[in-house]
Amino acid sequence: MNTAAEAQRGSVVIERNYRANIADVWDLWTTKDGFESWWGPQGFRVEVSELNARVGGALRYEMIADTPEMIAAMKQMGSPASHAVTSRFTELAPRERLVITNVIDFIPGVTPYENRIAVDFKVQGAQVRMVVTFEAMHSDEMTRMQREGFTSQLTKLDKRFGSAA
Amino acid sequence: MIMQLDAFQALADPTRRRIVETLLAGEQQVADVVAKAGIHQSGVSRHLRILHECGFVSMRPDGQRRFYALQPAPFRELEGWLAPYRELWEARLDRFGAALEERSKQRRAREAKEGKKRS
Repeated sequence: MNTAAEAQRGSVVIERNYRANIADVWDLWTTKDGFESWWGPQGFRVEVSELNARVGGALRYEMIADTPEMIAAMKQMGSPASHAVTSRFTELAPRERLVITNVIDFIPGVTPYENRIAVDFKVQGAQVRMVVTFEAMHSDEMTRMQREGFTSQLTKLDKRFGSAA
Repeated sequence: MIMQLDAFQALADPTRRRIVETLLAGEQQVADVVAKAGIHQSGVSRHLRILHECGFVSMRPDGQRRFYALQPAPFRELEGWLAPYRELWEARLDRFGAALEERSKQRRAREAKEGKKRS
């Protein structure tokens, strides 16, 4: 019963198995071109300006609306089509585990707070097992959430989790 | 009579979370929960009552004894709340998988080329 533990922390745990080289899996999180090749919610792409894969190292990128629909949606909300995101690698054990901490300071009316993504890697024969733990709060997805009307729900949840945090 | 809490409020309390975690092992009496969770009996009884009222926990009397067990409904509610997040991140990891596939292909091509050079 994973749900109880997840819900307490307001986090989502997703596990994936890949038939791939651990170096490639690791590089997708820790190199500029790797990170840019997949990060970002649907409708966005990212441009990394700084990625320093060591403990305390910075991860800075621009999140850019990338489809005509998303650009229009951002405009309609009165938001710029791109915004800068500042994160840090707060834990890093090469090819085993990393934690990315995001500073969420761009949401109007929400006190800035930190949001963590933890990733654990394990090589099992020819496979790599990757377990990703996301805190299910505001994140890069916020822009999309706003568009879909999740905002009020999230605000309510902040209050609910306030005492548990 | 206390006010009915929803699933999130019920689990916002760390003592109640500990009780729920203890009950993950299966149906138990109050005394067992007290021993395992390390919480005073009066606290356990009160929190079990709250968890019961919220639908997290069922109570089955057996003579003088009362057995408590977890119920699935509120967990479904929690799961339902988390589902949109899960979908968003699943979609992201689908893109991760596609990017990894591309990278693996490049690696294989590179290794094949190097292998050819060597032979």
